[in-house]
Amino acid sequence: MTTQPPKKDTPANAPKELGKPLVPPVQVSRVRFSPDGTLLVAACFDGTVRRWDVSGKEPVELPAITGHNGWVTNVMFMSLPPKIGDKIYSTDSWGRLTASDIDGKQRWTVESAHDGWVRGLAQSPDKAVVATCGKDGIVRLWRAATGKPDIKFKLGSDLLSLAFAPDGTDLFVGDQFGVVHVLNYASGEPVRTIEARELFKLDRIQDVGGVKNLMLSADGKTLFAAGAEPKSGGFVQCVPLLIAFDRSGKRLSQYKGANDNEGYVTDLAWHPDGYVIGTTSGQPGQGKFFFWKPGDAAAFVTGGKHPNCHSVALAPEGDVMAVSATNANSSGNGRVKGTGGDYPANNSPIQLWTVPKA
Amino acid sequence: MLCTPADHRLSRRRFLGAAGGSALSLGGLATPAVAEKLKKERRQVLFVWLDGGMSQLESWDPKPNTPFGGPFRAIKTAVPGTHISELLPESAKLMKHLAVVRSVSTQDNSHSAGVDRINRGDPKNRGVVYPYFGSAVAKLVGAGDSGLPPYVWVKPLSGGFIYKDSGFLGPKYGALALGDGKPPENLLRPKELSAADDDERNELRKLFDAKYAEQRRREATEANTHAFEMAAQLQRKIELFDLSKLPQKDQDRYGTHDLGRHMLLARRLLEEGVTFVKVTSYGWDTHGDHFNGAASLHPKFDRPFAAIIEDLRDRGMLDNVLVIACAEFGRTPRINGHIGRDHWPEAWSVCMAGRGMRGGVVAGKTNDKGTEVATDPVDIGGLFHTWYKALGIDPADTEFRNGGQPLPIAHEEMKPVKEVLA
Repeated sequence: MTTQPPKKDTPANAPKELGKPLVPPVQVSRVRFSPDGTLLVAACFDGTVRRWDVSGKEPVELPAITGHNGWVTNVMFMSLPPKIGDKIYSTDSWGRLTASDIDGKQRWTVESAHDGWVRGLAQSPDKAVVATCGKDGIVRLWRAATGKPDIKFKLGSDLLSLAFAPDGTDLFVGDQFGVVHVLNYASGEPVRTIEARELFKLDRIQDVGGVKNLMLSADGKTLFAAGAEPKSGGFVQCVPLLIAFDRSGKRLSQYKGANDNEGYVTDLAWHPDGYVIGTTSGQPGQGKFFFWKPGDAAAFVTGGKHPNCHSVALAPEGDVMAVSATNANSSGNGRVKGTGGDYPANNSPIQLWTVPKA
Repeated sequence: MLCTPADHRLSRRRFLGAAGGSALSLGGLATPAVAEKLKKERRQVLFVWLDGGMSQLESWDPKPNTPFGGPFRAIKTAVPGTHISELLPESAKLMKHLAVVRSVSTQDNSHSAGVDRINRGDPKNRGVVYPYFGSAVAKLVGAGDSGLPPYVWVKPLSGGFIYKDSGFLGPKYGALALGDGKPPENLLRPKELSAADDDERNELRKLFDAKYAEQRRREATEANTHAFEMAAQLQRKIELFDLSKLPQKDQDRYGTHDLGRHMLLARRLLEEGVTFVKVTSYGWDTHGDHFNGAASLHPKFDRPFAAIIEDLRDRGMLDNVLVIACAEFGRTPRINGHIGRDHWPEAWSVCMAGRGMRGGVVAGKTNDKGTEVATDPVDIGGLFHTWYKALGIDPADTEFRNGGQPLPIAHEEMKPVKEVLA
């Protein structure tokens, strides 16, 4: 494994499309690979978790996990001991948390894990606990194997994201107002807060932005808080912003997008070669993926095929990524007619890409 | 051109000393019993304008678990069988006072045309500019006994005298806009200016005004005089604007953000007897990150909206005050790539309460996905008929006169929404 990231975006080392995109007939909020890289799942706006077997030459769609309401907001895999088996965890915007087997069979469900929109989902490093946070301002921990409730912390404001430190000491929770709350995982006690206030703006009466994503580097030394520097509400003009902190909250470096048409950083993945892969939402027709090495002034790769990117998943070896985006011409005032005269929904093409070595 | 906006900026210089030039408050002349009777006979309107367009799907017409339904749940209301979005929990509790039309279908999907068309009622084109609803009500109902201008607009940002709202009715039916809910700057007489000196200046001003008016069109001078009269009216009611003296509980219920403060001021103005109070909130044009936007915005409408309905009810004023929550259109069912909803005049909702309305009623419906009106569509002309009827004004019997030209007050081919009328 190389320790150097790929060089500048050139035809030689730029990510290459792998086949045609998967096109679920709905929009997608999250995509994730299974720990062995053979399964790709997508959390969808129609309350399903769609699954594809990507182990062969062509992806094969498998039966979806159903039963969620509203939007499925998060999905993640967890490797558990063989007697329990690997699991897929998913949350929705009506407050539900569900654990399913890899084959899609549901094992347990907490119907009202939160009062409404579950924003964040993460797993503890020891695989014992699943953490969720929500619009209700609460962080909850659940026993991963059974769904039995563990600890509950009330922080108050809308909580958008969360991540565990790899050493299992701290749980980081990002809120709507640009604050990262650091909690002691064992006790639930607040340890400190980390300020990323530029990720928030009160525009007229609208709260805009917040810490939409949190991630730690594999060694746990660097915390990444991401979203955007909002310029306005309504249309939401904002410049993507990803800030790297050390564990004490000291700022190390940041990636900032080029302009306020690029939107939010919508998802993050940590590449084993030591860099961040992110996606941005963008204004109509914009949004992309980017590769950024902490400390650099700019991304060393930017790209994309479809606009308005909402999630990125990295395969375990770091050689393939999946990016979910949006079909072209997704916006427009008034009645848009489909080819059959119908009123069409938008969808989220999921494109697989090679992630080249340096 | 009548005058420039600068001519109508409400500053002390323009308002000096018009005291006595306006109608005296009837409340000040009448016996308590007569004053009480007059209060009971008031016809007033609170018009809440959510500029940019509130989503019907995240408010009055939710479609949970459907392709365009979005992430939010629908909740029960105080009216069995009627559900609205979870983002409006306080309004849900008061549903028995609310009347919702879910079958609104209008003509414009642009702000520039839509705002005017909705506010003017989209009548047939007769080559004249129709008044905004506020100006029309000011003309048809009058100033009443408040001793205040009949059409007051509470809005963020700047204020002034917004004469363009009045259309062919003439500038005196324009809106007095209170920027950020504050009275015009330098409204009060400076301490160093004695009352006698002030009176003297006013007499001089009136003399100059009269000379000026001799050589100009009536509309131009009328607006000027009207602005001074309004200033004098406001000078007598300056305490209205000091919300800090209200109980903290009220301020908490309405919220300390712009819309909350402005709705609380609206309540004060209505209590004082202002005929038409418009409250505008900007920033509802959520083309991007709509659902997080709605999660922030809608509760900030919900709380003060419910609070003012409650307060009007508790004060016995809901029989007098027609309450309307409206915008230039709704928002698209289709969720765009930056997770927004665009402009949608095709099938949206308007909520009303109070005078002339049946509470707890939902009129009209959209199809299962919210993409079409499934009953007879209601254009803004139909809503104008409904609102006039609620105010006891029959559009069939009432006309505007524009220099002798009779003009219907609402689109003559449209009808009121009878289901929501008491």
